Amino acid sequence: MLQLTNLTKTYPTPQGPLHVLDGVDLQLAPGESLALMGESGSGKSTLLHLAAGLDTPDRGDVIFEGQSIASLSEPRRAELRRQRLGLVFQQFHLVPSLSVADNLTLQARLAGREDTDWAQYLLARLGLAGLNDRYPEQLSGGQQQRLAIGRALAAKPRLLLADEPTGNLDEAAADQVLDLLRELIEESRCALLMVTHSARVATPLDRCLHLQRGRLAEADP
Amino acid sequence: MRPGTASPGVLRTTWLTLFSHYRRHPGQLAMLLLGLWVASALWSGVQAINASARDSYARAETLFSASLDSVTRRDNQPLSLVTYLSLRRAGEPVSPLVEGDLTLSDGTSLRVIGIDPLTLPGESGLARQQSDAASLRDWILPPHRARIAPENADAARADSRLPPLEADPSLPPGTLVTDIGVAQRLLGVETLSRLVVAPEQSLALPPTLVRQSAAALASPGQLTDSFHLNLTAMGLLALIVGLFIVHAALGLALEQRLGMLRTLRALGVPGHTLIIAMALELLLIGLLGAVLGIVSGVVLARLLLPDVAASLDALYDTDVASHLSLPWYYWLGGLAVTLGGLFSAGFGMLWRAARLDILALGKAQAWRARLHRQLRLQAGAGTVLLGVALWLGWRLDHQPNPQELALGFAMVAALLLGASLWLPPLLAGSLGLLSRRLRSHPRLQWALADLQLQLPRLQLPMMALLLALSANLGVGSMVGGFRLTFLDWLDQRLLADMYVRPPEAQYTDVAAWLEGQDEVQALLEARHAEAPRLDAEGQTTGRTLALFGITPAPIMRQSWPLLDTATGHEAAWQALDAGDGAFINEQLAHRDGLAPGDPLHLRSPQGPVMLTVAAIYPDYGNPRGEAVLSASHLTEKFAATPGSLGVVLRPGSRDVAGLQAALRERFGLGGDAVVDQGAVKRTATEIFERTFAITQALNALTLAVAGLALLTTLLAQAGARRAQLAPLWALGVSRRQLIGLQLGQLVSAATGTAVLAIPLGIGLAWALVAVINVAAFGWRLPLHIFPSQIAMTIVLAIFVAALATLLPAWRLWRVPPRQLLQEFAAI
Ligand SMILES: Nc1ncnc2c1ncn2[C@@H]1O[C@H](COP(=O)(O)OP(=O)(O)OP(=O)(O)O)[C@@H](O)[C@H]1O
Ligand SMILES: [Mg+2]
Repeated sequence: MLQLTNLTKTYPTPQGPLHVLDGVDLQLAPGESLALMGESGSGKSTLLHLAAGLDTPDRGDVIFEGQSIASLSEPRRAELRRQRLGLVFQQFHLVPSLSVADNLTLQARLAGREDTDWAQYLLARLGLAGLNDRYPEQLSGGQQQRLAIGRALAAKPRLLLADEPTGNLDEAAADQVLDLLRELIEESRCALLMVTHSARVATPLDRCLHLQRGRLAEADP
Repeated sequence: MRPGTASPGVLRTTWLTLFSHYRRHPGQLAMLLLGLWVASALWSGVQAINASARDSYARAETLFSASLDSVTRRDNQPLSLVTYLSLRRAGEPVSPLVEGDLTLSDGTSLRVIGIDPLTLPGESGLARQQSDAASLRDWILPPHRARIAPENADAARADSRLPPLEADPSLPPGTLVTDIGVAQRLLGVETLSRLVVAPEQSLALPPTLVRQSAAALASPGQLTDSFHLNLTAMGLLALIVGLFIVHAALGLALEQRLGMLRTLRALGVPGHTLIIAMALELLLIGLLGAVLGIVSGVVLARLLLPDVAASLDALYDTDVASHLSLPWYYWLGGLAVTLGGLFSAGFGMLWRAARLDILALGKAQAWRARLHRQLRLQAGAGTVLLGVALWLGWRLDHQPNPQELALGFAMVAALLLGASLWLPPLLAGSLGLLSRRLRSHPRLQWALADLQLQLPRLQLPMMALLLALSANLGVGSMVGGFRLTFLDWLDQRLLADMYVRPPEAQYTDVAAWLEGQDEVQALLEARHAEAPRLDAEGQTTGRTLALFGITPAPIMRQSWPLLDTATGHEAAWQALDAGDGAFINEQLAHRDGLAPGDPLHLRSPQGPVMLTVAAIYPDYGNPRGEAVLSASHLTEKFAATPGSLGVVLRPGSRDVAGLQAALRERFGLGGDAVVDQGAVKRTATEIFERTFAITQALNALTLAVAGLALLTTLLAQAGARRAQLAPLWALGVSRRQLIGLQLGQLVSAATGTAVLAIPLGIGLAWALVAVINVAAFGWRLPLHIFPSQIAMTIVLAIFVAALATLLPAWRLWRVPPRQLLQEFAAI
């Protein structure tokens, strides 16, 4: 369902061009879950942004469900993100002026398929029940992270792109969230591309790839 | 639905999400609304006054009396019916008119005009209305009819003396028109006020009667244009200053919502949907602010209008309704201007939001990095504008120009805008310079560096403050200078201790008696006449000049002010005395480009007369051109009727009351016929103060708006500021010190602004007295600079800054330390 071919991205820096991605190829089947590992600064977030159509590659293409993202207009790309992708950012990017409940259902409402039962279920499963009327700055770091995951899942996406979704959680909480993630993904046959530093988190997933010097390599977690 | 188009649901959710920012920060929304409200209230208030006055002028001009020549007796006494009938029998096409004031039972004063519809010249506005036979019959036969301005219809219906009434919206406010017989009964007179005749008809009049052309009475619309122009300029200034607030508030709202915009884009909201949602938000806020503003603007106008009406009446003798009547397009226009202003302020926000790509969104710092480039651009644009202002000023000072007034306002606009563009670069430069100097004072250095960081946010309110302060100083200097000059001039012109205006029959007796009194030092005779202007070939120009006769007594020569003469004061007075010289007022010299030594061609009853302009004199506040001759020559050549007698008393015997009593006893002169100098001065000064009261009120409001702009910005950024101050607090600076630091920052920025406002205000004062005033009124004022007003400018700036810091400081004071710590953690 997701296919990255020969993806290349270079950032201009004062010290000359920085080749972050240098011909990355990747295939992801429906329902498959994949862990993306690599050192800090190796380009994992960059790759995720490209896959989500938030940024454009210098060379190569991103094909999602048979459609080349590069060929889509900006509104079509937005529609794709809205309807079929779920994004969990490394810095959460919650909307500070919306309550927890409103933040959770934001993308679902944008996609036009708000499902109150599903949202309540998610809130409960993510341990956010009873926090409905709080605002993001009144949550702990871990709670904010779980809310960001909930926002992505509430819209029932086809592909979940998650940037270190468990980075701020202790091991027990991380395991719990991860179990939940896998369970929900299996339920909706949603694919998962997850960036993580932790081998423990990567292990249960179907596959694990390592990003190194701009290239991907199959790896053991 | 086209694939890729966002559904209404997306728009709705986006809009609600965007608006949730204001739900959590209602203060910002309130400030935005406040800015819009104040700006559009001041603007629409001024426009309401103008629209209402223009409506009154338009109605006055359609009245027949404005378009017909009138015939009166030379001695200004009322005409008898016999005089009228004999003229009619001789075949002269005159029509009788009775005018007078009637007080209604509820105290309203009405101007009653009685006409004879059968003889009234056909083209006039009123004659047209009685054209059909049935209404003519109703008009002439009992119980008769009367037409009245709609404003006064209710009051008039309650008065049983009046005939059946018809409201007529084309009549000026406070006017009632009826048949001449009814008018005579109402006013209790049997005489006629004057006769009217169509301007194109020629008349053969007996010598006791004079004809006055309608053209000589300038239309009130023209005379008052400049007055309204000044009001409009003030309203525009308020609008601009108000839009500064809006601009600042919108910029902040965008900066604080950048993260939200990025998240929405990442979650799949197309860029154009975002722009539409933001534009909708602007529109909604704009409509709310505009409606609030227009409604309160009308309330403001209602409060100011009686004063405006009174001073227009005193200055130009025009009737302006003292309550508002607004045409429909006034409301639309107010809405359009407010929304236009909002969108011009919001355009920058929308444009920036549309251009930023998703991943760069939220990096507010990137904008701040561009500050230096922006400052250089501002300085460049400011320099160009100041250059344009200088060039326009030089041109207007050196060569007359038909577009003087428009160019004058363009110059003022360029001057103000250029200077305010220079303000942020100047502030940034001096901050940089200072902070390098203050290396050894770490806390001061930090405060300066921090102020520099705040500059992008503070620059707009500081610019608004600069505009308001310099307008205050400029207008203050103009009004102050005008007051000095005017009162001085009034003293010079009002030489006599008392003015007597005897009826013509008694004139010589009264004059002789006064001459014989011991305490009378000199008797200054003054007369009025008018004469048609001729061109150099002796052809009629269609214009009439007002002539004023004075007595060139020694006391008059000493104090009558002259601006310019051909060959010195002594020679000018000799020429006036000899009868071949005339003095002209500054207005006439300016409008017709006349200079001392130029010829002035007039037609007198005895034929063409050529006079030489011997001198130019100042004539403040007079809207018309005028020439001065010696009273004896004016009588001789232009058959001037006797006017007033100025009585100068001997020094030491200033018994004005005694002389007044004697005149009353001996000649029956009282009331309006004898006026003492003090009363004249009081009236003149009162008119003056009232006229400028409005200007000063608007000025003070503008300053308040600028203070509000500053407060808006400070409040809106208070949260972010606290987050920046929290580290200092954590490092051991007390909250008291933090507040002191902020107060110091703001006060010094405001003081810097005030320092720039001083030269700008003086420049503005110069532009007002030497360019705008000359163009609008035809006379030039000397430029006065008052040190007290300069000091006041600085005090006001500090006061406004301190006041604006007060609320944010109080809030910082009340924040519990725990919350400061949290804000610290959130950085
Ligand atoms: N806008 C940019 N301009 C220049 N360089 C950038 C930009 N964004 C990222 N980089 C650089 O590209 C490299 C990859 O960044 P990226 O955020 O993808 O790393 P990452 O693998 O996600 O790291 P981490 O695990 O720390 O999140 C880094 O060296 C970073 O400094
Ligand atoms: Mg990353």
